[in-house]
Amino acid sequence: MKLKDVISPFYVWQRAFEKPYTNTKPIDTRPGADAYRGFHVNDIDKCVGCSSCQTICQNHAIDMVTTDKNSMPGDSGLRPRFDYGRCCWCALCVDICPSGSLHMSNEYAWVSDDPDSFRFTPGVDEKPWYQHEQGYHRDPNYNLLKLERAEMDMLSTEEGLKSFDEVVSGYNHEQAIAEADRCIECNICIATCPAHMDIPDYIKAIREQDLEEGLRILYKTNPFSATCGRICTHRCEDDCTISHLGKPLAIRWLKRYIIDQIPAENFARILQDSCEENGKKVAIVGAGPGGMSAAYYLRKQGYRVSVYEANKRAGGMLRYGVPTYRLPDDQLDKDIDYIISLGVTMHYETKVGIDIEFNTILDNNDAVFLSTGLNVPSNLRITGEEHPRVVSGLQVLFDTASGNNPNVGQKVAVIGGGNVAMDAARVSRRFGADVTVLYRRRLEDMPADPEEIKEATEEHCHFVTQAIPVKIVPADNPNQAIIHWGEAEMVDDGKGGRPRPILQDDKMHTETYDTIISAIGQSGDYSFLSESIRNDLSLKWHKFEVDDRQRTRIGNIFIGGDVANEVADAVSAIADGHNAAIGIHQYISEKV
Amino acid sequence: MIEALKQRLSEHFQLTNLTIKNAGLAFLWVEKHELEMLLRQLRDFEGYTHLSFIIASDHIEKNQFKLTYMLHNYDTKHDLGVHVDISRVNASMHSIHPLWAQAWTYQRELKEMYGIDFPESPRVDEDFCLEGWDDMPPMRRDFDTVKYCEEHFDDRDGRATEENRQTMKVNIYPERGE
Repeated sequence: MKLKDVISPFYVWQRAFEKPYTNTKPIDTRPGADAYRGFHVNDIDKCVGCSSCQTICQNHAIDMVTTDKNSMPGDSGLRPRFDYGRCCWCALCVDICPSGSLHMSNEYAWVSDDPDSFRFTPGVDEKPWYQHEQGYHRDPNYNLLKLERAEMDMLSTEEGLKSFDEVVSGYNHEQAIAEADRCIECNICIATCPAHMDIPDYIKAIREQDLEEGLRILYKTNPFSATCGRICTHRCEDDCTISHLGKPLAIRWLKRYIIDQIPAENFARILQDSCEENGKKVAIVGAGPGGMSAAYYLRKQGYRVSVYEANKRAGGMLRYGVPTYRLPDDQLDKDIDYIISLGVTMHYETKVGIDIEFNTILDNNDAVFLSTGLNVPSNLRITGEEHPRVVSGLQVLFDTASGNNPNVGQKVAVIGGGNVAMDAARVSRRFGADVTVLYRRRLEDMPADPEEIKEATEEHCHFVTQAIPVKIVPADNPNQAIIHWGEAEMVDDGKGGRPRPILQDDKMHTETYDTIISAIGQSGDYSFLSESIRNDLSLKWHKFEVDDRQRTRIGNIFIGGDVANEVADAVSAIADGHNAAIGIHQYISEKV
Repeated sequence: MIEALKQRLSEHFQLTNLTIKNAGLAFLWVEKHELEMLLRQLRDFEGYTHLSFIIASDHIEKNQFKLTYMLHNYDTKHDLGVHVDISRVNASMHSIHPLWAQAWTYQRELKEMYGIDFPESPRVDEDFCLEGWDDMPPMRRDFDTVKYCEEHFDDRDGRATEENRQTMKVNIYPERGE
C-alpha cells in the first residue's frame, strides 16, 4: 500500500471548511434562470378563453373551466386550468397564446402531499410566483400565429371613381388558402356574428379545399352569403382572437371566396334543400334580407311562403341602398334567386295597406313575418329643407340603383355620418361631384363603418366635422341652395356618455351647393298596420319589441330586421329572419 | 476571427453557409460526406477540442433532419455549431465516436428520439431513456403526441373541461340560432 492511499481520505476533511457547491435548501434557494420555463402565470383580464393553449397542449394537461369571468362577445369567460401531473413545461401554450395573457414564471419548486393540489387555474388560484418578473415569455420576434392578412386586390381610387364596378376583386385560390391558414379555430367569433355562423368550420372547408361543404355550412345560418361576403359589417373580425396580436382574419372575404367559386346553377345539387310541403302558409312583408332569409328557412320546413314587396325587385336596402360598387346586382341576385327557386311566391310592386290589406294577409296565413325596413328618411328639422335641391340620401341611392341619374350636380353637401351618408357621398363622387360631408360630431363618433369612412376619404370626399346645419335658403341660381352651418363645440354630457355638440353662434359658415343630401337617419313606415294592431304591437324608440325568436305580443305576427333590432345591419336582419322562421315553426307546430 | 476560420476551411471543404450569432457563437453548414473530416480539422487544427452536444431537428417540410454538432474552443471561448442536413428517409449518419468518445451517447439518444441511425456507434440500438418504446420515435414531427397521450395515460379523476363554443352559446345567445 502506498502512503498516498493511506492519507488521501484525510484530504477530504480540508473541504469540510469550504463553501459547498450545493445549496442548503430551504435555507438557500437558487432562483431559476431568467427565462426559465417554470410555473404558469395567466393575466385573466387579458385572457379571452380561446382555448388555443388547450388545443396545442400535446400532453392533454389543460382544461378550460368556468371562473367568475362572464361570457361575452370576444371572451368565452373560460380560463385554462393546468394539470401539473401531465404538463412537461414545453411552453407551447405560451407560444400560441393569441392574447398574450399566458407566460411562465421562473419558479420551479412546489411541494405538497396532496396530488390534486397540482391542478390549478393560473391567475385565479392564488400562487406566490405571479409577481416574479423572470420566467419564460414568448419572444416577440417569433410567432406561431400568422399575423399578416393575405392581400386583397382592389381597384385604385382613380379607377373606382370612373364607374360603379365592384371595387374589391375577391381572393384567388392562393390568397384564400393563405388567409384560411391563419385561422386557429378558437370559435370565439361565432358568438359575435349576429347569425352565429359556423365561421371556423367554413374556413376549415376552404383550407381543405372542400368548397361544396363550405357552401353547405354557410347556408345553415345565412342564405345571403354572396351579399354578406361583400358588405357585412363583419363584427366577427372585431373579436377575432388573432387581432390581439395582428390583423384579424378576413372572415368576410373568405365567405365570399366560397360563394364566388361555386356557380349558382350548382347550388341546388350541393345544398339538396328538400321542401316537403306541410300544408301551412306564412306571409312575409318586405323582400329585404330579413324577409328573404325567413322565406328560405320557412320554405325548407315545407311552408308555402308568399312575399309581398313594394318595389320591382327583391333585396330591400341591399338593392336600393347599397351601391353596386360594393354589392353588384348579379351577386345579390345569386342569393335571392336561389331562395325564390325553392318555390317562394313573390308579389312585387304590391304595397301592403294599399294594394292589399294587411288584415287580409293575416287572415289568409298561419303566421306573418314583417321585415319592412327603415325607408322613410328623417327630416333635418331646419328652415328651408323643403328646397328642391335638398334630397334624401335614400332617394339618391334609390335612383342610382334604379338606373336613374340623380343629377346631383358638381358640388354636393352630404349631411350625416352614417353608412347612407357615406354611400350617398361616394355615389355622388362617381357622378363627378365634389363632395363635402358635414357631420355634427367628431370623426370618431360617426356611426358609419370605419371602412366606409376610410374609402370615402380615399375617394376625396371632404369631411367637415362638428358642423351643425342651421338653415337652408334659396340661391340666386334656382338649381342651387345655400346652407348655413355653424361650428359645434363638444361638451361633456355629464353622464359619462359621448360629448354633445353645442352650436357656436359666432362661428357660422355659408356655402352654396348644387345638391344638399340629407342622410341623418331613417325610420319605418307602419301606416299599413291598423291602429289596433299598432297598439297591440309594442313600439319602443320607434322599434317593435320582439323576443329572441322575433315573436311579438300578437301570437301570429313576427317582426325582424331594421324595424326591430337596434343594430340595423344586413346580417342582423338575416339572423332575425332565421330566428323568425324557427319561432314561426314552433308557434305553428304548437298550435297544431 | 470566424471569417478567417471560414476562409481556411473553405480551402478544403464546401461550406454552404455561415451564420455569426454573436462574438461567441457561430454556425457553419457542411455537406454530409464532409462532416467527419471537417470536425477532425476543427478539433486537431482549429482548437475546437470539445464536443458539447449533438442535437437534431425535424424539418418534415423539406423531408430532412438537421443535425447540429456543437463544438467549443477553450482558448478562444468560442462555440461553433456545425449543421448537416440529412434525408428523413432511412435517416442515417456516420458515427463520430472515434473523434469524441462521448458522441456515442448522443447518437444513441438521437436513434431513440428521431430514428436516425449511426451505424457502428456503440450500443446505438439499446434503449436510452424510453424503455420498452414500441412506437414511432417520439421527437419526429409526424408522431402524434396527443393521440399517444390519450391512448396511454388516463386523466386524474376530477378533471373536466368545457367547450367554449357551447359555453358562449348557453351564456350569450341561448335562444338564438339553431
